[in-house]
Amino acid sequence: MTFERKRIGIVCPYGWDTPGGVQAHVADLAEYLISQGHHVSVLAPSLSDDNLPAYIVSAGKPIAIPYNGAVARILFGPIAFARVRSWIAEGEFDLLHLHEPAIPSISLLACFAAEGAMVGTFHASAKRQKAIFAIGPILEPIIEKLTARIAVSEAARSTLTEHLETDAVVVPNGIYAKRLGGGKLRQEWSSNTIGFIGRFEEPRKGMAILVDALSSIIETIPDIRILVAGPGNSDAFLESIPEMHRSRFTFLGRISEEEKADFLHSVSLYVAPNTGGESFGIILAEALAGGAAVVASDIPAFDALLGHGKYGTLFESESSHALAQAIVSLLQDDARRDQIRRDGKAYAQDFDWEVVAERIYDVYEMAMVGLGKVVLSSDTRGWSKFLGR
Amino acid sequence: MTTTTILILLFVVAIFAWYLSFLATRLDRLHHRVETSWANLDSLLQRRAAIAIEIARSDIADPASSLLLTFAAHQAREASVKDRSQAETGLSGALGILLETSTHIQSAIEQDLLRELADITEKIRVAVSLHVESVNRTQLIRSRWIIRFFRLAGRAPLPVTYEFESDVL
Repeated sequence: MTFERKRIGIVCPYGWDTPGGVQAHVADLAEYLISQGHHVSVLAPSLSDDNLPAYIVSAGKPIAIPYNGAVARILFGPIAFARVRSWIAEGEFDLLHLHEPAIPSISLLACFAAEGAMVGTFHASAKRQKAIFAIGPILEPIIEKLTARIAVSEAARSTLTEHLETDAVVVPNGIYAKRLGGGKLRQEWSSNTIGFIGRFEEPRKGMAILVDALSSIIETIPDIRILVAGPGNSDAFLESIPEMHRSRFTFLGRISEEEKADFLHSVSLYVAPNTGGESFGIILAEALAGGAAVVASDIPAFDALLGHGKYGTLFESESSHALAQAIVSLLQDDARRDQIRRDGKAYAQDFDWEVVAERIYDVYEMAMVGLGKVVLSSDTRGWSKFLGR
Repeated sequence: MTTTTILILLFVVAIFAWYLSFLATRLDRLHHRVETSWANLDSLLQRRAAIAIEIARSDIADPASSLLLTFAAHQAREASVKDRSQAETGLSGALGILLETSTHIQSAIEQDLLRELADITEKIRVAVSLHVESVNRTQLIRSRWIIRFFRLAGRAPLPVTYEFESDVL
């Protein structure tokens, strides 16, 4: 196959300094494309210009704004717009990849300002909302400029079809399956342990449901322990739960990628009791790749990711009773646990960056056919040429 | 009094004219996209037919399926626009049958061929979805009354979707 080095511009709408799924996805994708020999420039808001990877161009300081039920660190306004325009003008890109172009941030501005091959990736999934129908007519002509659309999950795709009446190619989020699959067994994390990774303080992560389920799990499995990895205030969390359960929790704080692989390999079970707000569930894909047996709530994203229960056990969302049952029956059945571990690990290879990035690049290729460099749309208008600008 | 009215009227007309030109640009972009997405899909399908013929000549196919495949590939290549999708679906079917029954392939050349076919199939899937999307979009915008009333589409023919039985792919 012939290889052509391309100039690719990626726009990330959220502040680069705050951790998040979209930012992580953009970083991984950019690094993968660079390793393949492409020239990549990522435009993202960021608080400071220090410690940024070489491929990042800062678009300015993000503004924290409540949007769609969470605080989003986004960026817009005339100064940001000017930066977006000059980034596009100077970049001479063959293709722009805009993440979340339907939220009011620099991806939308870039989509508005540019003309040429553009791919948009939609991450979020949301329920039908009146507000989105109100802004639809504004978004529609802008989103329409995207040459190709990618949705990270079926949920994100149906959100897109409902709200903006356009279809998308589904390409899942990527993980480093091989790196995660090489974990070693650590004694201190194994034997009747339940693992959890994430910001445990956020209510939608569902830790409260696990705590509620604990009493009935103890009846059958008295030596159960819960290992929590992820940022957050563990003291405050322990204060909030019944005293008799406190000793069962171990908090590991943030863990490195290597520790994550060991963690997933060692724990008896990985639980994801999330109550909603997930579009894809990257952490579950990682857990599967790391060889963990997964128990997850049956929210649509997890249901789809786990193949409707084929690669992990699903329980009725927000039911601590169902969660306790699922955990107990799986912990008592070693043969079944080994089976879903193996199946899940094999299945998770589909989400490896090698596979996912190739599929994204396929879409890039399709989008670039017949189009030249990305230019500012104002330059293509007859009258601006006429006026000489 | 009358000058203000005239000024306001001029302003409204100017805004409306700008809006019409905006719509025309939008539509022009969509038409252009339909053309490129079709050209892209067309070239991919041609390449697939070429690969199919190569497979038919290789050891992967037994004489009977080789005959079937060659026939289907030639039909897909020579089909008129009207019969195109039917011919391509036929080729998809022939390839599908062959791939299902040939799990014994060992030689490197044959494996290369099959990998190339899998590659192109994946691309065709994306290309079909892009083309269908751009056609649907164009049809949707063209059905608006303002576009029809002011004939903003000009003489561009109304694009039609390519009926691909995607599950065969």
